[in-house]
Amino acid sequence: MPSPLELLQKQFTSSVIGEADPALVVQVRGGGALTPAEAVEIYRRGYPARMSEALGETFEACWRVLGDEDFLKACEEYSRSVKSISHNLSDYGHLFPEFLQARFHADAPFIGSLATFEWAFKEIFHAAPHTPLSPSDLAREVKDNSVLIFGPSVKLLPLTHSVVEIWKRDRSDGAPLIRSQWDAPQGALLYKSGGTPVFSRVIAAPEASALRSLMAQQPLSEALAAASGLTEAAARNLFSFLSEAGLIVAVRQP
Amino acid sequence: MVGVGLRSAHFPRLLERRPTPVRWFEALSENYMDSEGRPLEVLKKIRADFPVALHGVSLSIGGVEGPRPGYLKRLKALMEKVEPFLVTDHLCFTGAHAANAHDLLPLPYTEEAIKTVVSNVSKVQDFLGRPIGLENVSSYLTYNESCMKEEEFLVEIAKRAGCKILLDVNNVFVSATNHGFAATDYIDRIPSELIAQIHLGGYTDMGKFLFDTHSRAPTDPVWELYRRVIRRVPEVPVLIEWDEAVPDWEGLEQEAVKAIQIAAEVKNALPA
Repeated sequence: MPSPLELLQKQFTSSVIGEADPALVVQVRGGGALTPAEAVEIYRRGYPARMSEALGETFEACWRVLGDEDFLKACEEYSRSVKSISHNLSDYGHLFPEFLQARFHADAPFIGSLATFEWAFKEIFHAAPHTPLSPSDLAREVKDNSVLIFGPSVKLLPLTHSVVEIWKRDRSDGAPLIRSQWDAPQGALLYKSGGTPVFSRVIAAPEASALRSLMAQQPLSEALAAASGLTEAAARNLFSFLSEAGLIVAVRQP
Repeated sequence: MVGVGLRSAHFPRLLERRPTPVRWFEALSENYMDSEGRPLEVLKKIRADFPVALHGVSLSIGGVEGPRPGYLKRLKALMEKVEPFLVTDHLCFTGAHAANAHDLLPLPYTEEAIKTVVSNVSKVQDFLGRPIGLENVSSYLTYNESCMKEEEFLVEIAKRAGCKILLDVNNVFVSATNHGFAATDYIDRIPSELIAQIHLGGYTDMGKFLFDTHSRAPTDPVWELYRRVIRRVPEVPVLIEWDEAVPDWEGLEQEAVKAIQIAAEVKNALPA
């Protein structure tokens, strides 16, 4: 049987996150001129506002695309349906991309991809910067059958729609989006390059395929050979980019 | 010694390292304990020039379940990185492990709540290896079952648990106005030796009640209460707290200067 304090805390928590519990209301006195129910409602109303603020910080581009009314209404409904279990508000929203996609797929088919990109950006933003191998060290150590070890702040995203340019759009750019801007799959790479700034790069399908294999620790020659449509020049460019951008932290020989 | 809350809006200005009367910074623990990115990088740079205190909002020291798993480990790791001169959180609960309300929910002033908090504080202090400070929160309701005054509850916990008090003067004023008690009596009943830090902030008058928004400068009644308490504890660190509608650096600095001036006036008026 729960203690009086445990019971009260359960009632209060569920009243803030969901509907006000009448059993809590009868136990309190309102501050100022508030009735007990109004006082509980102050805490209850604050909850979706806080969660919406957190979602707005992470999903800033989605907010811009959807507009205040639709975005904030979606945030409120999400906050009443998905509980936060973390101590950290910025951990909130991992299911928000699917939620937005289900809600707005007819008007903004790309919204799920955009939200997925923003969630990944937040994760890379907070990830530890790694110390990359210098291009000269990498060139010296790498062989055909080497396995490249990527730093922890590197993420390759296979997106169902092209959203990187939408994400980069200036806040003041109110021009309507046209289908050709987003209506194709896109590979996007988010990474840190030895410091704390986060970079993004659009990756073409053959390069993305090779990169995915490399990040899964397939030997270099196998990964490049398996990437359909990857020309020798494109492979050289990809390796050159990985080296210059500082994505590799170690090379392992089989 | 007057400090301000470290906010990302001021990062560029602070990294210019221009002279400032601000003597220390308070960082919100949760903003840095899960991040290895730019926020932590900036905090470390600030720490190289200024003392830093860590102030949490999610410890849930009054929660019957105790602190969330992993929370203390992360807090301790952050403490090792920034070596704060003080670690504080709020005297409240913030929900349950399975559902965090992310709010500073008030506790009933009962013996059961005292025992719960004291037990949690002991575990936290044992783990962190140092005393913590607990801040009085603003509230918009009280419980019928409370059997003592808020300040009695706060002091009893600090004495039994061996922790300190972060006295938020604005919160005292907000709760005093909302619940009809004298803020001066509350302030006077907090023993000087228990006060480790003072917070000053701004509230919003909602008509039916005062709301602790931290969205404006401290008001005159809060400055008067500050004057009253600083007379007793002139060396205690003081913080200007501003979380919503954060002003530019100069606007924030202006309030810090006001706190410094009041402290100097009070100190000069004290008998030699």
